[in-house]
Amino acid sequence: MSNPLCTPQDHLVSRRRFLGLGAGAMAAGAFGGLLSAKAGEELKKKEKQVLFVWLDGGMSQLESWDPKPNTKFGGPFRTIPTNVTGVHLSELMPRLAKQMDKLCVVRSVSTQDNAHSSGIERIQRGDPKTRGVPYPYFGSAVAKLLGPCESKLPPYVWIKPGSGGFRPEDGGFLGPKYGSLAFGDGLPPDDLLRNPALTEEEDAERNELRAKLNERFVARRPTNYTEANSHVFDTARELMKRADIFDQSKVSAKDQERYGKHDLGKHMLCARRMLESGVRFVKVTSYGWDTHGDNFNAHASLMPKFDQSFSSILEDLSATGQLDHTLVIAMSEFGRTPQVNGHAGRDHWPEAWSIAMAGCGIQKGAVVGATNETGTYVKDAGYDIGALFHTWFSALGIDSIKTEYDNKGQPLPIAHEDMKAIKEALA
Amino acid sequence: MNALKPLHVVPGACQLTCARFSPDGSIVAAGAVDGGVQRWKLENKKLEPLKPLTGHQGWLSSLAFHPKEPWLFTADSWGRLRCQTFTEEAPPVIWENAAAHDGWLRQLALSPDGTQIATCGRDQFVRLWTVQGKPVAEYKHDDDVFLVTFSPDGKAILFGDQHGHISQWDFAAKKITRTFDVTSMYKMDRMQDLCGLRVLTFSRDGKLFLVAGCTPNNGATTQSVPTCLAFDFATGKLKHTFTYGTPKDGAIEDAIVHPNGYVLAATSGNPGTGRVIRFKAEEKTAFDDTISLANCQAVTLHPDGQHFVVVSTSSGSGNGRPKTADGSYPTNVCPVNLYFLPEEAKSVEKGPNLDAVIDAKVPK
Repeated sequence: MSNPLCTPQDHLVSRRRFLGLGAGAMAAGAFGGLLSAKAGEELKKKEKQVLFVWLDGGMSQLESWDPKPNTKFGGPFRTIPTNVTGVHLSELMPRLAKQMDKLCVVRSVSTQDNAHSSGIERIQRGDPKTRGVPYPYFGSAVAKLLGPCESKLPPYVWIKPGSGGFRPEDGGFLGPKYGSLAFGDGLPPDDLLRNPALTEEEDAERNELRAKLNERFVARRPTNYTEANSHVFDTARELMKRADIFDQSKVSAKDQERYGKHDLGKHMLCARRMLESGVRFVKVTSYGWDTHGDNFNAHASLMPKFDQSFSSILEDLSATGQLDHTLVIAMSEFGRTPQVNGHAGRDHWPEAWSIAMAGCGIQKGAVVGATNETGTYVKDAGYDIGALFHTWFSALGIDSIKTEYDNKGQPLPIAHEDMKAIKEALA
Repeated sequence: MNALKPLHVVPGACQLTCARFSPDGSIVAAGAVDGGVQRWKLENKKLEPLKPLTGHQGWLSSLAFHPKEPWLFTADSWGRLRCQTFTEEAPPVIWENAAAHDGWLRQLALSPDGTQIATCGRDQFVRLWTVQGKPVAEYKHDDDVFLVTFSPDGKAILFGDQHGHISQWDFAAKKITRTFDVTSMYKMDRMQDLCGLRVLTFSRDGKLFLVAGCTPNNGATTQSVPTCLAFDFATGKLKHTFTYGTPKDGAIEDAIVHPNGYVLAATSGNPGTGRVIRFKAEEKTAFDDTISLANCQAVTLHPDGQHFVVVSTSSGSGNGRPKTADGSYPTNVCPVNLYFLPEEAKSVEKGPNLDAVIDAKVPK
């Protein structure tokens, strides 16, 4: 007869599955290193953090950061003034308009890919020159270059709707250790806490046994493999110590109301707690922004939720002073077409779109770049994602020109070598 | 049944949101996304363009003709409500209110006796005005209000919100007297509210209250099934549910009840697809769906019951990316299609004869 109650062993397996789909999945492991280990140590001390808000599918720049009211592609919405003189945003962003003095909006982003499948990869990996190896996502890059914070919590956490798990491929050539640890719906992995049936002493004994077995394991296998294996367990144990991060009872009803009870509000609030707890890089994903049909009613529904949750976290990070050492980015894989299709939708438009940034190293109350009168194309050359990677690294105090990855002895630039940081966007 | 061929097609100069015939059938007016009102004079069975009306901002979202006076009421997405004449080359504005609503004024409706106007908006207000533009009453709802119409006796306003709730507001008594549940025409997809409401109207005898639009399936490249719910207005009970096609067929974007009792509707489906359908609310299938037009936005019936106009979208409008052959970036446009229903010639009991009005000179 099967036992309806789970055993401690079951829980250990659950954690392992959650963290790595089995340690075997972690074995690809070519762990790159910084050419200068000393430089890396210096960077770690600064405790810089990142909040990366990903609006999957493509937010319309015309219904958000770069409105063109009363023009042929402008759409039905009005603009509103912000607390920065002369800067207007879409009327769908009333709360963010009051925090424009914390933001830097780049209105002349111009990227290369109009497909989701390839575009997301190219954007989040910084679209470097082809090197024959996959570059790390920005979160993985930060996890590598800055490492975990002193909290020792996982350095790259992803809060997303749906299921959670470990996504090793984000790490690219840096290796699976630098992949993202996803918390589906912002919830902790099943069985995060030590099962009460297992005493602390028993747990310690089990870990001692694991350590001994690991020694034998290490002796017969390459270091990369065992490092990844240990990382899974270490991460799990650190998370077990910080189950309080997921304790909903510690979130005030007022905060839940302020952030919104929709997915993005809940996940942004979870992100705030992750950042407060010392996670280095937190990515928050919101799905459903690919508004090929009924774009305007869609944005009338979606934008207030973004406005509410994003402005709340900016407000809170600012109030606690955490914004001073947290780089905040909100973006998609591309913008949306100026032309409205027959389905009252807007399609994919990487030619001219916008992103918003705030926090450490970022110019406050700034608008960088511009599009033409109808929003179809950028004025001047525009900024590709490589320039944004340089900008973000610079904002985090990482010299994006001198710092290189070490891919098994092959030095690789951390951002596109033909591009450079956007000076006007940096404080 | 063979597909009707249009009598005339106006290629279109911009995208349109709504269209209506004037009560005498001599003029068609359509709202545009550039804030203008496009006008055509019906002459020699063709739509001859008149100078567009300007002065609105954002999108021209809704319009209606007064049943007796030469007044055209228009509303825009920035909240402006306007009354002006419509036959002259540069018709004078009789009155306007630039802030009738805070933002998107989604729809306006005239009372059956032509003395009052109802409006609703994204600001969650429903408002009642005299046709002279004086505010009479208002109701603050707790949701984005998409649709508004008067009850057949003109004593109440019915309005539909984003989440599929329709309320009956007795504006004299200042209270909501009942609600209709059309939440089947609402869906939360991921984080997006999908509102399926497009049209509120009544059967010609006033006994059926019709709610047309769609049953939403998903956002993004939206998928939904064209739907029309018919309520017994006396009891409030749902009597008939009509659906058409598959989720690729989209929504009934506009509908009008023909004097012979059926519904003439225009649908917009996936990019490039759309139909004109005719159906009886009490039946399960359309008796005519032969006209295929890309992404129909509006339909309006001439008072003779035989001629109608459908606003569609240019073919190839399914993707906003492509450039023209000369490398320029195009603007999407809405063709305006004039049709004639020959089988209705003897069956329509009321309404002027088109031949009597199409050659009439438009008064200056």
